[in-house]
Amino acid sequence: MSTDIQIAIVGSAGDGTIAAGDILRRAMAEMGYRVISFDVYPPEIRGFGKCIARLRVTDEQAYSLKPQSDVLVSLDDSHAIPHVNEAREWGAVIYEGGSVGPLAEGAHISAHIDPGQIPYNAPIRELSEKSTGSARSRNVVVLGYIAGLFRLSVDPFLRALNSKFKGKADVAKKNEAALRAGFEEGARWFRLDDIAFGPPPAKNGGATVEMISGNAAVVRGALDAGIDNFFGYPITPATSIMERLASEMPKHGTRLVQTEDEISAIGATIGAGFTGARAATATSGPGLALMAEMLGLGVIAEIPSVVYVSQRGGPSTGMPTKTEQSDLNMAVHGGHGDAPRIVIAPTNVEGCYRCGGKAFEMAEAYQTPVIVLLDLYLSNRYETVPFPAQPPFEADTNRYADTRGGKAAGFKRYALTEGHVSPRSIPGQAGGMHVATGLEHNELGRPNDQSAMHTAMSRKRHEKLKAALKHPDFTAYKRFGDEGPVEVGVIAWGSTFGEALEAMILAREEGIRCAALKVVMISPFPTEAVAAFMADSGATLVPELNYQGQFAGILQAHVARPVTRLARVTGEPMEVGEILAEIRRLAGRTPARQAA
Amino acid sequence: MSTVRHHVIIGSGVAGNQAAETLREHDPDSRITMITISRLPFFNRYDLPRVFRGERDWRRFIIYPAAYYRDNRITLRRATRVVNVDSASQILKLEHKESIHFDSLLVASGAGAYLPEELSEFRPLLHGFGAFRDAVTVADALPKGGHAILLGGDTIGLDLARTLLDTGHRVTLVAGPYTFWPHEVTPEERPQYIAALQRMGIVVVEAQSRGGIAAIEPGAKGLSARKLTFEDGSELAGDVVMPFFGIAPSLDFMLGSGVDIERGLLVTPNLRTTNENIYAAGDVCQIWTDKARRYCFYHGWKNVRAMGELAARNITGANEPWVPTQDEALHLTADGKIQSPFWEYQ
Repeated sequence: MSTDIQIAIVGSAGDGTIAAGDILRRAMAEMGYRVISFDVYPPEIRGFGKCIARLRVTDEQAYSLKPQSDVLVSLDDSHAIPHVNEAREWGAVIYEGGSVGPLAEGAHISAHIDPGQIPYNAPIRELSEKSTGSARSRNVVVLGYIAGLFRLSVDPFLRALNSKFKGKADVAKKNEAALRAGFEEGARWFRLDDIAFGPPPAKNGGATVEMISGNAAVVRGALDAGIDNFFGYPITPATSIMERLASEMPKHGTRLVQTEDEISAIGATIGAGFTGARAATATSGPGLALMAEMLGLGVIAEIPSVVYVSQRGGPSTGMPTKTEQSDLNMAVHGGHGDAPRIVIAPTNVEGCYRCGGKAFEMAEAYQTPVIVLLDLYLSNRYETVPFPAQPPFEADTNRYADTRGGKAAGFKRYALTEGHVSPRSIPGQAGGMHVATGLEHNELGRPNDQSAMHTAMSRKRHEKLKAALKHPDFTAYKRFGDEGPVEVGVIAWGSTFGEALEAMILAREEGIRCAALKVVMISPFPTEAVAAFMADSGATLVPELNYQGQFAGILQAHVARPVTRLARVTGEPMEVGEILAEIRRLAGRTPARQAA
Repeated sequence: MSTVRHHVIIGSGVAGNQAAETLREHDPDSRITMITISRLPFFNRYDLPRVFRGERDWRRFIIYPAAYYRDNRITLRRATRVVNVDSASQILKLEHKESIHFDSLLVASGAGAYLPEELSEFRPLLHGFGAFRDAVTVADALPKGGHAILLGGDTIGLDLARTLLDTGHRVTLVAGPYTFWPHEVTPEERPQYIAALQRMGIVVVEAQSRGGIAAIEPGAKGLSARKLTFEDGSELAGDVVMPFFGIAPSLDFMLGSGVDIERGLLVTPNLRTTNENIYAAGDVCQIWTDKARRYCFYHGWKNVRAMGELAARNITGANEPWVPTQDEALHLTADGKIQSPFWEYQ
């Protein structure tokens, strides 16, 4: 890549750190660069918590953030000092050169900048005050400074700024002044770092490249797939799915209802699905726990529904603003009885779009709840995504039975068929009348607890899902890297796959034969593909963000081979370097760079 | 109470870095903080003419890698300006209002280029040569085969002139009292050295013979970037005009410190100022010399480095006097060119 620059802005809540990151990524995306970004913020709405906006700007889409940033910006030294080592050697550290009040020794970030880092002690506050009359626009001054310092055009920044403050002319005007002041200051500084922006890539023919978050991509997928109803109760980090749908669904003539709790939300979703509507809800781990019983109804009554779950640190209230992949067991197995369901986990923002829409197809095709498993890191991260000109989703996959001329109350809604998927009717359909119940039932839907029937129906509910592994135009799993036998095979799911892929690429550059397997569909489990991959792998590494190694556990229940678990619960995304180190160890390599 | 001493050094040039190295050697457990307004780590200023030979990566000029400072536990604070030193309470204040306590302070802040007052109004049109940035800026402003006008001279300017000639540029020297600074050249010796400069390819114009410099202006469009006019009305056109009038100690921050200052910080032969905890080394200090019965400046890489080492030794308990280590006489080579010992370093 000719351009591969990561910028981290560190500040306190109220400094406009996240807003600065948002404007920066919008401007970069408009210039044509590919962007991946992720913000870290405290659970408090406002106060003194630490906020970090990180974005990586490339000319080819990157899979993860880098362990070190090329540029580190401090909007608050007390928060930025612990992160100063995040800036790489010969990278830039941009900070406030002055101070409002007296400082004890070491309280200024300049005391912590490594001799290998390049200091840029800009008069950020002074420029903000001079240009706007207040210090509130320090974040925007910094953006202008970055544009000026790295000789970027200020225009995309101005457009991103005006877009953000649309309808607030006075605010936009002040911030424009701040941006220009920062730009002029940055442009006059002599560059000592070795950071270079190459030309942005040529426009992607046919597809529209947009910068979008994981949750926004889910929403777009749902809308493009024709969602009819959404029922939800807000919870971090899933709330923005409902917020965005609330503004978008009325434009499409569809309905969203905020329910009183998660139990009501899943109940309404299943109810709407029963009527043939494409319905969904969104929640996080605590909400999914509440939905567990009702999901069982969806399974036994074979009613399509879609549940978007964005995981956060748990258990209980846990760490609402930290990422984790610890709801996997609950998503796959949660609830009572044998309640199989489809669980798919996108690995990047583009995947959020595809899974967000494909989930409706699958729910209808296999008549079951589908859980789309995200996590905070994926929900909140932004990437530039090339959207196809035509949505890749089937508008209507409901396969209603032809019930014309059928007998009232004689419709075999739960017929045991060769493909295990039964004919379906919806309320009001002539000749399609049947009983739908949470009780075990016979083919007509009437309660039946005979052992042979329960066995047959349980088998049906499990077996029908297997076809989902080959659902049309859907990638349930994919192998990357070296073909054939490899020293180390990395199997990853969800947001961690990006870091695993980067680590695999770096390992190959070091001469290690290595491959990575992306697993998107976790239930049903792609046993055959995973077993084949593991057979090729001298050692198998499974990195994931939970304590138990939940995915590794599921994997080993299906494939009886040893794996090395790399399970972390730091609340942060997995570090590429940590996965790489483990690959090296498993490959028996001395880390060349460290040795040097 | 901690017994670990905190040695603070202001300046990160030859003297400061040599002092840091010696302090670490003689006081292994101490804290060492080096403060500099420069954004670059210690680099070889004498090497700057290499910029005109196409070397634009400043990292090739630095003396120590970043790891050196980490390994030796030297806290290097760059882009940091000291604004005040309170010698009584042993606290110095930084421009961003941070206070730092010191047990010993070594002022090795060096000197900046001196510009005579009568030329100060033309400062925006002059190109400096004190920092890496300046060198790059001049190199960018000077076209291939371009014409540089050097005002004054001094050994730094003459060293640059040699490189400019080597790299195919033209050099005109507007000579005056500073032409051979800091060498002391008598009126009788001066003609032979001027002739030597001419033999080297430098066009020499004696400013005094033209009544001095009257004005420096931007050149007209399509012509050279600068126009220099003498009092007698004669003109000189060039691409860059660079002043070289010696150096002036950088010690504004010491004005309220209570230690004695003349042109530089006045120090005893063991490099201590009038405060027992504050020492000075390098171009910033004037050292009492019994032989001359006055305070003297000593310049040159070797002298400055020796001062840094001596100051550090004395801070850590020695009590040794300063002995100049460098030949300060200007020489003529066998082929009739001038050779200054100040051009030799390492």
